[in-house]
Amino acid sequence: MQILHKTNLEALERARMLGSDGVLSLLEGKGLVGRGGASSPTAKKWRECRDTPADERFVVCNANEGEPGSFKDKLIIRHNAETLIEGILIAAYIVGAKRCFIYLRGEYDHLRPRLQEQIADVLPRANLEGVSIEIVRGAGAYICDEATALLKSIMGFRGTPMYRPPNPTTEGLWGRPTLVGNVETLACAAQAVLFDDWDANLRLFSLSGNIKNAGVYEFPLGVKMSSVIDVARPQRKLKAMSFGCFGGIMPVDENMSITPEAVCKGNCKQGNYSIIFIDETNNVVDISYSIAKFYTYESCGKCTPCREGTIRILNLLKKIRSGKGVKSDLQLLRELATHVQETSLCNLGQTCGNHVLTSLEHFPEDYEAYLAKKK
Amino acid sequence: MEEKKDNRLLMNILHEAQEKHGYISEQMLKQISVEQNIPISRLYGVAKFYSMFHTEPQGRYVVEVCGSPSCVLNNGVQIEKFLEEEIGVKIGKTSEDGMFSLYKTSCIGCCDEAPAIRINGQPHTKMTAERVQVLLKKLRTAFKKKKK
Amino acid sequence: MRRRSERMRIKLNEKEIEADGSKSLLNICRENGITVPTLCYHASLFPEARCRVCLVEMNGKLVTSCSTKPSEGASIVTNSERVVKARKLNMELMMPESSCKREEDLEVCEIYDEVGMGKPRFPQIKEYKPDLGAAVIRDDNKCINCGRCVRVCADVQGVFAIDFASRGHNEHITPYEEKHLADVACIRCGQCILNCPVGAISERSHVEEVVAALNDKKKHVVAQVAPSIRAALGELFGMPAGTLVTGKTVAALRRCGFAKVFDVDLGADITVMEEACELLWRFENGRVLPMITTCCPGWILMMEFFYHDLIGNMSTCKSPHEMLGMLAKTYYAKKAGIDPKDMIVVSIMPCTAKKFESTRPEMKSGVDYVLTTRELGRLIKMKNVDFASLPDEDFDPVLGVSTGAGVIFGATGGVMEAALRTAHKLATGKELENIEFSEIRGMKGIKEGSINLNGKEIRFACAHGGANARKLIEQKDKYHFIEIMACPGGCIGGGGQPIYRDPDVLRKRTEAIYAADRSSTLRRSHENPVVKKIYEEMLGEPLSKKAEELLHTHYVKRSRF
Repeated sequence: MQILHKTNLEALERARMLGSDGVLSLLEGKGLVGRGGASSPTAKKWRECRDTPADERFVVCNANEGEPGSFKDKLIIRHNAETLIEGILIAAYIVGAKRCFIYLRGEYDHLRPRLQEQIADVLPRANLEGVSIEIVRGAGAYICDEATALLKSIMGFRGTPMYRPPNPTTEGLWGRPTLVGNVETLACAAQAVLFDDWDANLRLFSLSGNIKNAGVYEFPLGVKMSSVIDVARPQRKLKAMSFGCFGGIMPVDENMSITPEAVCKGNCKQGNYSIIFIDETNNVVDISYSIAKFYTYESCGKCTPCREGTIRILNLLKKIRSGKGVKSDLQLLRELATHVQETSLCNLGQTCGNHVLTSLEHFPEDYEAYLAKKK
Repeated sequence: MEEKKDNRLLMNILHEAQEKHGYISEQMLKQISVEQNIPISRLYGVAKFYSMFHTEPQGRYVVEVCGSPSCVLNNGVQIEKFLEEEIGVKIGKTSEDGMFSLYKTSCIGCCDEAPAIRINGQPHTKMTAERVQVLLKKLRTAFKKKKK
Repeated sequence: MRRRSERMRIKLNEKEIEADGSKSLLNICRENGITVPTLCYHASLFPEARCRVCLVEMNGKLVTSCSTKPSEGASIVTNSERVVKARKLNMELMMPESSCKREEDLEVCEIYDEVGMGKPRFPQIKEYKPDLGAAVIRDDNKCINCGRCVRVCADVQGVFAIDFASRGHNEHITPYEEKHLADVACIRCGQCILNCPVGAISERSHVEEVVAALNDKKKHVVAQVAPSIRAALGELFGMPAGTLVTGKTVAALRRCGFAKVFDVDLGADITVMEEACELLWRFENGRVLPMITTCCPGWILMMEFFYHDLIGNMSTCKSPHEMLGMLAKTYYAKKAGIDPKDMIVVSIMPCTAKKFESTRPEMKSGVDYVLTTRELGRLIKMKNVDFASLPDEDFDPVLGVSTGAGVIFGATGGVMEAALRTAHKLATGKELENIEFSEIRGMKGIKEGSINLNGKEIRFACAHGGANARKLIEQKDKYHFIEIMACPGGCIGGGGQPIYRDPDVLRKRTEAIYAADRSSTLRRSHENPVVKKIYEEMLGEPLSKKAEELLHTHYVKRSRF
């Protein structure tokens, strides 16, 4: 797998040779985009951070991978942490940061001792004056995957997001320009700098659900769904796939080329390519229910629509599953899901209704089955 | 209150405090408030925000069952019910003998080895009813040995 | 972030206008005469965009107008069906069944019509136990998580008694460890009450107890009125902010059944005598300086929780209503031939902390109940008194004559000014020519000045609002005399005053206070004939043994946990 190629501090050396502008042009040319789910152009972000006047800047590695169905960053931390660390150092070098952080989710705390050792090993050999990498221990909050919430957490507050603008690249930690980068993005940055044949089109797919070969795979964008299914080996006939919890649920089409556009056609978002496969023995409403529970639990509570809307959506799904649901409940469900998406403050709220809207759109018969089931 | 720009970060301070007795006590909150010059109301709010911080005493083993879709699709709900039966408490409670606290959690990143649980922060994957039984028995024995 | 003014052209509800791009959409709308409903927005605090009620459409996207600035050529729509529906649904989500009723006098009720609220669609799912205390009480089930109380307590008051805890639909506001406010470092200033749009926080009401006392034929119930009441009570009866209603207040209290109505301004005059003498005594005897005023029980609590080392700096003088309460039960009781055990003294105060103050064991208080301005408004309405049509009546003269120095206690800087008017006479034997100290008047957070007394320069400073108090404390050694008021604006902005939306209201109330001073015949406390009489007949002189016994108190150290 490309992602596991080690750079051995040679990428940092090359970065020093190319200089800050050189590295940024290289990354732009290679087309590196963020791999946390938002796909924003990496070089642009780094440039904005570097060019904002300030007395201090920070680099933060977002290792709070929390999207259900996503476990690719865990792979990188376990098997290629050195390249990740080098990516962080390159970013620090480019933007002019001294203090760097890795925000490691609490659920990966068992990986921390080894990661700490690797930092202690790589850092002195990197020869970057005054640069430090500190591990910040997360404690079980999906919302801290959102950059501004993550920064709040580092600063010692509850992880509630801030509206943007300003973006963290202009005003982040303690008011200073802060670069927040996903694990995969930073590791890829190091590889892109060093390897001339680095392929931006190869992406990490986290596959799980009703399949025999769940795991992290590297596929090129545009890969045919049938190829993915061949590798994944579903246990039974596949009915649906959910892109994490946030992306939405749509039918599985063997002929589909997995691209952002194709996923968009199903009114879903591909995010960081975490695909949870659902087979025909399942009622999609049940999956929606577990997703709704997730959002109720993980909503930070700051803004009204998400704080109140998620629990109301959950209660409606509970009602429908219990056999007490009526047709107007589906209408209310749709109204609430749309409203929460349109008026929430951050992208948790802005995507927490996708599973409802897409399951209603693509699998109305599953809802009808529960409505017909009168207790 | 002026923030003391102590280089120690609160998340790490709270984790260390919790590691002493398995939870963050009121006394610890007061101590941190004084040392770090952070209002105690904010400290409490932070401790209550994150699901892995506890402000009340926990069982010797904190058992967390993943309730996210990938685990649900792989018998996760059955494992959850089985744990409730074996330990003898409902989700969110601590057993009478002080051995286990049982919680439901969001995705812990073991989706490729579902269903998964965590015990005192250590993931245990590909769980089945038998594996749960064996694991709990091992932990119970270790607990009794320690008590002696 | 854009901070400097930036002219740009935008479209506002189809109309092309020029706007300042450094301003929020909310401010731009308001400047152009367009109302946008808000709840979590607070004029003096950084917008948080929590409530999502101030939604407008910008370029087809719903955004919160409090936190969004326009871009060049943006098209803003504030009145489309989509905007109206979205605002309404957010309100419905915030206010499930059995939340605030329409007829209550709450900020949220004001926007019900604007938002188009109908019957609540969602059932109440919260089940919090109420937090009941002696001064401030909370009902979390009504809370809409707007966070204004948290931010005011933290940023404006510097107290940090409460904060958000837990997350999602379990997010609630609480002191640490779910304790009651009465058990934590809360200074009872009531600024949280003033800022809660839904009345989830309110004062512990004593109206019932006072009504029972008024109905008890065996009791002689007297009322004593703080300076700040006369500048604000009218607002509860439709009068514009800053209308002086002294005479009507006295008349209303009599109609409610109070046997006598006294003026706390007189208590303030007595406080001036004691405090000015105490200040000079500290100078002459090389005692601890600066001396800090103690009329504000919120400030006293702040000192007792957070600044133990300042105990020696605190004046031992009680606050004006406590002094007057004692005099009512001694001086007046004797004159009227009433057994003080049969007398009930009710203070009408702009302050919630005074409800706590009168229960302090160290106070040995003569005050039985404290009613806030808001509670008095409720009592007056309960008794079916038509406030606006009342004639002006005078306080009962036995404890009702006051000076302009007494009335300015209601404004920040007023205690200092009043004390200096008398201190000058006591120290130099000469009357102070210019008795208006403009340098310590007004809404600036920290104000300072100096005065020459017998060749010595006395430096003084005033702060209002807890956060400003903390700042001033850090500089305390620059001064000889410090006045601290816990509430922004001083007592006229107290936690018991009518709830105001427009911060300009504070300025208007302050103007009324200073106008009352200017129009007083007597403007120096030591000129008050009743003050002279009380000292002649009973107290002897300021700081005498009798004065110490009745009019002075001491303080304690409280753990802030």
